[in-house]
Amino acid sequence: MTDRIQKMYDYYVKDKAHHEFRQPETDKYRYAVKYKEQGLCDTDRAVYRLRDVLNEEKPVVFPDEKIVLLRTVRTLPEIFTEDEFKEISSKHYIHEQGKVCNICPDYTNLLKYGFAAKKAEIENKAEEFAKAGKKEEAGYEQALISTIETVQHFMERYAQEAEKSGNDYAAVTLRKLINDAPETLAEALQYLRIIHYCLWCSFNYHNGLGRFDQYMYPYFEKDMKEGRIDKDSALELIEEFFLSLNKDSDLYTGMQQGDNGQSMMLGGLNRDGSESFNELSDICLQASLELKLIDPKINLRVNKKTPLSEYIRGTELTKVGIGFPQYSNDDVVFEALRRWGYDEDDIYDYTVAACWEFIIPGYGTDIVNVNGMSFPKCVIASINKLEQFDDFDALMEDVRCEIFKESDRLRETAANVYMEPSPMMSLVMNGCVENGRDVSKGCKYNNYGFHGTGIATAVDSLASVRKYVFEDKKLTKEEMLTAVRNDFRGNDELLNELRYEGPKFGNDDDRTDEIAVKLLDWFADALEGHKNDVGGVYRAGTGSAMYYIWQSENEQATPDGRRKGEQFAANYSPSIFTRLDGPFSIIKSFSKPHLERVSNGGPLTIELSDTMFRNGEAVEKTAAFVKTFIDLGGHQMQINAVNLETLKDAKLHPENHRNLIVRVWGWSGYFVELDECYQNQIMKRMQLII
Amino acid sequence: MKGIIFDIKQMAVFDGPGIRTTVFMKGCPLRCRWCHNPEGLSFTPQLMVSDNGCQKCGKCMDKCEHKDKCISCGECVRVCPMHLRRIVGTEYTPEELAARLLKDKVIYEMNGGGITLSGGEPTAQPEFIIALLKKLEGIHRAVETCGYCAPDIFRTVLDHVDYVMMDLKLIDEKQHEYWTGKSNRLILQNLEQLKKSGKPFVIRIPLIPGVNDTYENKVQTAGLLTDADNLQFVELLPYHTTAGAKYGMIDRCYEPGFDTDRAVDTDISAFKKYDIPVKVL
Ligand code: SF4
Ligand code: SF4
Repeated sequence: MTDRIQKMYDYYVKDKAHHEFRQPETDKYRYAVKYKEQGLCDTDRAVYRLRDVLNEEKPVVFPDEKIVLLRTVRTLPEIFTEDEFKEISSKHYIHEQGKVCNICPDYTNLLKYGFAAKKAEIENKAEEFAKAGKKEEAGYEQALISTIETVQHFMERYAQEAEKSGNDYAAVTLRKLINDAPETLAEALQYLRIIHYCLWCSFNYHNGLGRFDQYMYPYFEKDMKEGRIDKDSALELIEEFFLSLNKDSDLYTGMQQGDNGQSMMLGGLNRDGSESFNELSDICLQASLELKLIDPKINLRVNKKTPLSEYIRGTELTKVGIGFPQYSNDDVVFEALRRWGYDEDDIYDYTVAACWEFIIPGYGTDIVNVNGMSFPKCVIASINKLEQFDDFDALMEDVRCEIFKESDRLRETAANVYMEPSPMMSLVMNGCVENGRDVSKGCKYNNYGFHGTGIATAVDSLASVRKYVFEDKKLTKEEMLTAVRNDFRGNDELLNELRYEGPKFGNDDDRTDEIAVKLLDWFADALEGHKNDVGGVYRAGTGSAMYYIWQSENEQATPDGRRKGEQFAANYSPSIFTRLDGPFSIIKSFSKPHLERVSNGGPLTIELSDTMFRNGEAVEKTAAFVKTFIDLGGHQMQINAVNLETLKDAKLHPENHRNLIVRVWGWSGYFVELDECYQNQIMKRMQLII
Repeated sequence: MKGIIFDIKQMAVFDGPGIRTTVFMKGCPLRCRWCHNPEGLSFTPQLMVSDNGCQKCGKCMDKCEHKDKCISCGECVRVCPMHLRRIVGTEYTPEELAARLLKDKVIYEMNGGGITLSGGEPTAQPEFIIALLKKLEGIHRAVETCGYCAPDIFRTVLDHVDYVMMDLKLIDEKQHEYWTGKSNRLILQNLEQLKKSGKPFVIRIPLIPGVNDTYENKVQTAGLLTDADNLQFVELLPYHTTAGAKYGMIDRCYEPGFDTDRAVDTDISAFKKYDIPVKVL
């Protein structure tokens, strides 16, 4: 890290001194009332919002910065009044906050052309539409033009501030980028920062960074060739950009601090079978390794042919303890995307949306996390009818029906979705300019993804019933039912046996694992062949997001010895009650299901003691372990290097551990900033690690 | 025939080449004062209790019928609501254990790894481990041993493994006897066999402050290793203060008899002098 970067790190990350520029919190309906009075349509409101927010912004530029822009407005305004939004909600399904979110733009839509050329293209389009009598489309093109002008105006204000503060470099760059496309890496990074910043100011959240090492590579390559940069100065630039992603990420909306969707995907197979991991990918890993920041969240695309050396680079990053990289397996994900009807042209370009859900940059307006299907809920429903079943197969058949029922119910809820328009996002999504159509109305892919929550709880519960009720006959059906309904009260020994000694998914026991294979297959079956009301398909997944907490809160005790209200394991992970046979058995069990059918996203998360990263040889072996999961056909994996003692201390003395980073579900966050329930879940799992 | 083990650990990264599974055999003839696996000393099952999280609910003692002296019957294990009690020591036939280990054959093969028998002291259950090693043929097999066993047993074990990690604690016989409870004569004799066997091997030295971390002991050790082509390297394992952590859990006191706070001397010049490759872990 150079002195300049170190200084910036101290200023922005350690001291957070830039917070002094932040403006006070304001009423989030401060503009909505006006927009309503003026009788504006939703698209115009979206254009005005960006304009009004950017006008509120007070440019802040420091003399030695190469990549500028800082958020000072704390409260992003809504475009609808509360009453208006209530009205909309009564007629539509509102996903999360009703904004375009959790997708990945194709930034090259602007990077390649620049604002002036883009504007000219849009003006042509507008004329075409007007001539053809397509008023609505023509009007929409005007909204896009206004948006560009708004951003240009904002950049001019920033350029003036840059001049004032003596940063001529930034002033020149900004002035150029007002009209022209970037030509150097430094310019491209500044331009990306502007686009990304304006997306946030348009209230789009969880905006993925996509295949950064691919779309930035041409600028890097050109600069290198022409001698403008060398590897060291490229690293410095990338580090500055990474730092910029941490300047105002705490203002971004998310479930928890750190959950802000600034995910980046590196490497991956090209269509011709060659590997795309390049010098710039490596520099990104290096930057993340040196900065140890939660943003950007690094993902690595790997496949059967990925050499161990790449996993070693990744594992060196894991060793730092920030919970990246997350690996995804091209071999499995390509197949999954094909099955869901993605074009061969697009699948090679996949990335993660915000956390782990796979999406195509620029083409995917999939709602990848539309809802969560709780496996334990289905299993509990069946087990409550236990007395009706003569054998285990009959019970399983009923579980299958319950999974279908629940999947149907969830499908039906997700219809007639409304989202606020976003002309800003539309500028970087393919087809919006061409068709005069806002991104909120959908782009090429409009599939809906469902999480699949609590798979381990469900599998372990069924395996437990099979063993204790149907096979060993240690318990009658009635006794098992009574025990779970009474939450095992007065039955400590049974609870103990089921919880700690019962069969568990993750012990590489074929009979237990087979239940997991079936449940996941049925989930995929239940969604397959159905279409949503915007023509998309449904994608089954193994993620959990928050659902593992929401859906377990009120759920009764389960035959795996889980008591009422106890959490399911997060994502695609084994039970957190007991130590399993070990990491080998876990990766073997968890690679048995037909993961190409349930690859909406959701990693197997494994915690390894930080001693497993002690020296180079150990790092290499840990890397080989990750490679093994991928080679066995695993879809997505994430490894944490952890030390329980540190976490215990952090809970007691948060003041000493402000920078302790842990991985939660799809993202990493600062441990001391997490809600206690997450802290506890993380620590519980850690007690079981090797 | 049965063997008794106290743990099986998958994904061992410090116990030989590649990623491995290590089997910890229960029972050991030595009594090193610094032993950090006290549950591996006795040849019989034992109750092990972790007090981290104990609610002092008394349920365990309500159940116990042998309050004066624990007989490791295990009756109290399931009544503990916090899952703090367990019996360490599980018996296996060689067939059962081999079947369990062979399940992960594909993983060993993918990573140039294999299986390591450790302990405790594996050679203290000779018939069992030889039967087991025979069943594991085709997989890379390593043994981690203190070298204290009859020479013919040692030779047979050597015949059935691909890689050896052997401890050399102290070269001075009297000192060895004082700190481990046994003379090192058999150990040194077995070292000679090992050197002649041609099997690749590693020498491990747990460096105990003030006991064997002296230049003198190191140079004596190095002197014994100059003529061994099959020696891969020497590995020094500096003493760690957490070594005593598990004594209380099996109701024993940790009485190391040396100053545990003293800094370990990790100087490696004695090995450098003889050009012996050395690593400090
Ligand atoms: S194992 Fe438990 S119940 Fe049995 S004797 Fe020991 S303390 Fe008592
Ligand atoms: S049963 Fe468990 S929690 Fe209760 S006193 Fe005994 S060891 Fe402690």
